[in-house]
Amino acid sequence: MNVTINQKGHAYEVVLEGRLDTTTAPKFQEDITPLMQVSKAEIIVDCAKLEYTSSQGLRLFLMLQKSVLKNGGSLVMKNMSAAVKEVFDITGFSNIITIQ
Amino acid sequence: MHKRFDPIEGLTSIIIEAVMSSEDMPADEGLLFKLRLAVEEAVENIVNYAYSDGAGYLEADTSVKDGVLSIVLQDAGVPFNPLDKEDPDITLSAEDRPIGGLGIFLCKKLMDSVEYEFVNGCNKLTIRKRIA
Repeated sequence: MNVTINQKGHAYEVVLEGRLDTTTAPKFQEDITPLMQVSKAEIIVDCAKLEYTSSQGLRLFLMLQKSVLKNGGSLVMKNMSAAVKEVFDITGFSNIITIQ
Repeated sequence: MHKRFDPIEGLTSIIIEAVMSSEDMPADEGLLFKLRLAVEEAVENIVNYAYSDGAGYLEADTSVKDGVLSIVLQDAGVPFNPLDKEDPDITLSAEDRPIGGLGIFLCKKLMDSVEYEFVNGCNKLTIRKRIA
């Protein structure tokens, strides 16, 4: 999986490409750990090319959501495929993370 | 398909790919997404928890009967029924939601049935999904 993070001031665009699973989640966690320390980070995660996420991905999205709530920032996930959206719906994540 | 992995330590993704490349898998991408998720969550659970030292086996079998795909995973590790775990409370706020604990829940929700048996000293998990 490829992770690209573009920063402009407080705005962070995280572009995900590929499969977020048990193999790729540790690297993604490394990539987003610095973002979890930033005060008032406005994070947008572009999921247009995110093909798949397992519970390993979900736990990281929840960690990110918890961190922005604590740090006064925001998290929006956009362009999710129907299949990935279903995983968010089943687990109730659609209610705790903003999806556009 | 019948495959045996021994020892299983560090083989999570290899086992997942082996099961997903079974000739019994459907072509439909939507179904494959759900099956991959169910297989990943189940295999990961076994690789991480069945054997304290990772030195043990996992046998994976797939078959199709009357349009229903069965995936059977067996190990001789610590007796453990993953279905005993209570479902997560999906109505909690982000602050109150615990991290993790969603794997087997997703497996159950996405498949038609998930059954656990302890037979002949082995954990046996059977996942079923109608594919035709």
